[in-house]
Amino acid sequence: MPLHDVGYRPWRGRVATGSAAGVIALTGIKLAWKSRWLRRAVLFAWTPGIVFAFAFFAFEQAVEDGLLGPMRPRLRLDQAIDNIGALGTVIANALAGRPSANGPTTDELRHIVWSRLLLAFMRAPQALLLAIVVGLVAPALVSRDLRAKAWLVYFTRPVREIDYIVGKLVVLAMLVAAITMLPALALWVLGVLVSPSLQVVLTTWDLPLRIVISALTLALPTVLMALAYSSLTLESRIASFAWFATWGACWVAHGALTTADMMAAEAVDRVEASAYSTAMPLDDDLEQRSFPGRAPLRRRPPPEPLQWLRRAGGTDARPDRWAWLSPYHALGVVQAAVFGIERRPDVIIPPVLSLSVLSLVAGAVLVNRVGAPARV
Amino acid sequence: MSVPRAGDNPTPFPPLVVDGLVKRYGSRTVLDSVSLEVRQGITGLVGPNGAGKSTLVRAILGLVRLEAGRVRVFGRDPYREPHTVRQRLGVVPEDECSIPGLSGVEMVCYAARLSGLPGTEALRRAHEVLDWCDAGQERYRPVETLSVGMKQKVSFAAAIVHDPDLVILDEPTNGLDPIERRAMLGRLVTLTRRHGKTVIVSTHVLPDVESICDDIVVLSQGRVCLTGAIADLTGTGRPEYRLVADGDQEALVASLARHGLVARTADEPTGLELRVDATRPERLGAVWAAARDAATRVRQFEPVRRPLEEVFVAALREADHAAP
Repeated sequence: MPLHDVGYRPWRGRVATGSAAGVIALTGIKLAWKSRWLRRAVLFAWTPGIVFAFAFFAFEQAVEDGLLGPMRPRLRLDQAIDNIGALGTVIANALAGRPSANGPTTDELRHIVWSRLLLAFMRAPQALLLAIVVGLVAPALVSRDLRAKAWLVYFTRPVREIDYIVGKLVVLAMLVAAITMLPALALWVLGVLVSPSLQVVLTTWDLPLRIVISALTLALPTVLMALAYSSLTLESRIASFAWFATWGACWVAHGALTTADMMAAEAVDRVEASAYSTAMPLDDDLEQRSFPGRAPLRRRPPPEPLQWLRRAGGTDARPDRWAWLSPYHALGVVQAAVFGIERRPDVIIPPVLSLSVLSLVAGAVLVNRVGAPARV
Repeated sequence: MSVPRAGDNPTPFPPLVVDGLVKRYGSRTVLDSVSLEVRQGITGLVGPNGAGKSTLVRAILGLVRLEAGRVRVFGRDPYREPHTVRQRLGVVPEDECSIPGLSGVEMVCYAARLSGLPGTEALRRAHEVLDWCDAGQERYRPVETLSVGMKQKVSFAAAIVHDPDLVILDEPTNGLDPIERRAMLGRLVTLTRRHGKTVIVSTHVLPDVESICDDIVVLSQGRVCLTGAIADLTGTGRPEYRLVADGDQEALVASLARHGLVARTADEPTGLELRVDATRPERLGAVWAAARDAATRVRQFEPVRRPLEEVFVAALREADHAAP
């Protein structure tokens, strides 16, 4: 018998109620963090921030050196600046096409550029990394408990089903925050630090709020879907496969339908152009004079490389009518709306509805499966 | 927010009352009008496989949907107040259940925290209970790598870490070696005798029940076919004591008679024994003087009882005959 064995002693302290969800969340995070792969993935998820930090720095340097004024007239929509690729396009699109004669003020420009940079950051690298990291962690969260009959550990104690579900959701929500929200907030702080004056905080105060809301928007449907898959099987591998298959299949379906739309539109263009060209040269004034009352020929811009990235960054103004079909694209539209970049209700509503339905169905499946052992 | 501990305000209600429980899985009736009352002490819940023991335990926890009947744990309904009831319950399930990745002590600490103990207190208490369960350094190994016996200890420690008033154990000695088995039964006795807990042991092992339980409930085909105090059920109907002594048995009988005790010899498979009439129990103290006078040495002196196994088998047979 150990020297320190004091035998069994009654415990007369006071017990706290309502803390079970927090305990489950903390333990879940601790257990997940034991995975070396997860630690590496989260660390890796911060690396794209370095590229975006450079963009923030470059913009603020341009402001400080007074380069924005001379540059503005040369900017065109969809044109890159200084060969910095997609980021240059983001900045160019933010600066170009302002209706005001004198152009926007520096503060307005800063808000626009920062918003687009932050959205691009949260969408293009972070949302994809998020899908991977959640796919590593979430499948085991509920399925492992079901396989190990750990539900008896919970439901023979003063733990409600909702405590259990909230605890598991918080585990994933913390991951989402670590991958999307915290780096984005860090970027905003960096932007403030490299800006000429700390008064920038006053003109961009809403961006941290938008980052948080955007991260929550991203978190809710994804973690519910991930946990619902996890609760449907005892094998976490199957849940993992279902998770990645859903993202992949929906992405492919979205891409296929969007491409089909573009091909159909090009075919129409070709027919129309051919009909016009037999009669008249393709000139807008000539067309109008020759065919009064007829709508002018719409010349669509040719497909751009990295169009998904432009769409992710909110620089692609064309409505994405199939966005509701793919969680990734639907989340992109909703996040663009959160950042104030997408304002068209007809574009926003279908993805919002689709994500709401997804969240509700996933939530219902999760509640049903978690409570199933106690409903026999 | 906090709730008072059970010990702060003892309730006048019995630990467990089950009244007319009916549970069916499809067309099969698993619990058929089960009624029983459990008093403070150790109660053995025994019965053949499929008798409905595990379902009854789940019903007590409020984890199955009942067709009829009611359960009261310290006067509370586990279906309406699961939170309050489970605060006062500790359960060792038959199935191996654990959280993979946690060590033994983390598992017990986690159970304590889920029951509402504050963080540091939960860890202190987890170590204290594991010490009592003689868990040693094994407590720092992940639970999934522990031996069956060690898992059982961790599971037991997790069940009692929050100091519950009612502890329910489903096959608690499964996988334990004889020494550990005795130690586990000893802990149950300590919990009840010294700390006033109520323990329900669901098991197949009748010697375990016989050695530690005060009461027994025998389930068969979903019905309670026998219930009561073990001392009463194993009584022979005649107040007799069994006396095993070395030396001349006839001289001892004569000496007992001189001291006013009536004894007869009984030829048992284990050897010649005496049966001492205990109609007047105040005279039994004279046995020692009679043995000394007869130059014999007393080896055993205890009330004559029927083996529990015999009682159990008889109850099951009766239930089988009574079944439609």
